[in-house]
Amino acid sequence: MRDVLELYPGAQRALFRRYHIGGCSNCGFSPDETLAQVCQRNGNLDINEVLGHIQSSHEQDAKIFISPKDLAAAVQQDKSIRLVDVRSREEYEAVHIDGSTLLSQDAMRQIMGDGSNTRPLVVIDHQGKQGLDAAAYFMGHGLQNVRCLRGGIDAWAQEVDTKMRRYKLGS
Amino acid sequence: MNEDLQKKISDAIANPQNMGELANADAVGTVGNSDCGEMLRMWVKFKDENGKKVIDRATFQSFGCETAIAVASLATELIRGKTAEEALSLKTEELAGELGPLPPMKIHCAQLVEGALRSALEPQEAKPAQPTPTSAPTLLDSFSKPKEGMKITFLDETK
Repeated sequence: MRDVLELYPGAQRALFRRYHIGGCSNCGFSPDETLAQVCQRNGNLDINEVLGHIQSSHEQDAKIFISPKDLAAAVQQDKSIRLVDVRSREEYEAVHIDGSTLLSQDAMRQIMGDGSNTRPLVVIDHQGKQGLDAAAYFMGHGLQNVRCLRGGIDAWAQEVDTKMRRYKLGS
Repeated sequence: MNEDLQKKISDAIANPQNMGELANADAVGTVGNSDCGEMLRMWVKFKDENGKKVIDRATFQSFGCETAIAVASLATELIRGKTAEEALSLKTEELAGELGPLPPMKIHCAQLVEGALRSALEPQEAKPAQPTPTSAPTLLDSFSKPKEGMKITFLDETK
């Protein structure tokens, strides 16, 4: 499974969403197990079907990403695009993209309750690592037009707004 | 998983009903915790109908698992118009409604929905909903909770 996760970083998300595997310790797997072993002890799942699902999810993950330059062009054209920042408040206050909203309970209520599940939404994180989970969360709730900024705000600072200060997290 | 069940789950996921927080709910129940990806919260609002207190609307928020979302979507529709007792008397397999019998490894997902319902409707019929205190852990916390000990250092300061 270690190799599977390395090759397909979204495999855990894909496995959990469809097969309820890998969500917590009850349904988790060990890195040393093979995919066949995991399939076998989870109701003898068809390994080819599971592998196919992981691969197609991986392709779909790739489609969710939008490059910083494409996003910059898109927000110029479409003012309805909602930019949702899923970083911590401290990071948001340090730097953020103009027009973006820090995800909060109120913001989430607005997103879920505004009656439109087709309004474009772009998730922004620090370096494009956690954003896919948030995007998957929104998609799992029926929003149909969700993208995730490739490389996060760090890539934005390098490719679009070079005046934006880059930062790292650490103690 | 058989294809038929997968299709029904996909259909339910494509257009999930009753998702999101319910303002002014009379009761709210939560099971699981968001850290392990299995969390389901349910809000219930009652109304009076022919002298009986019945469920006017129920909504839910879930994280991750398609089956739990599908079951919650169906269950929140199913319990409309029922009293709390009637809703609580529904068996796990009844909550899954048209999904039909779930394979053993998926029953857990339907039990999550049953647990959230139970947590909302028991022990008393209509405990006042906590107006989602901001200090309570919620699904959103997993996205944007402050990272303890994670100091922000600007790269131009390190040069």
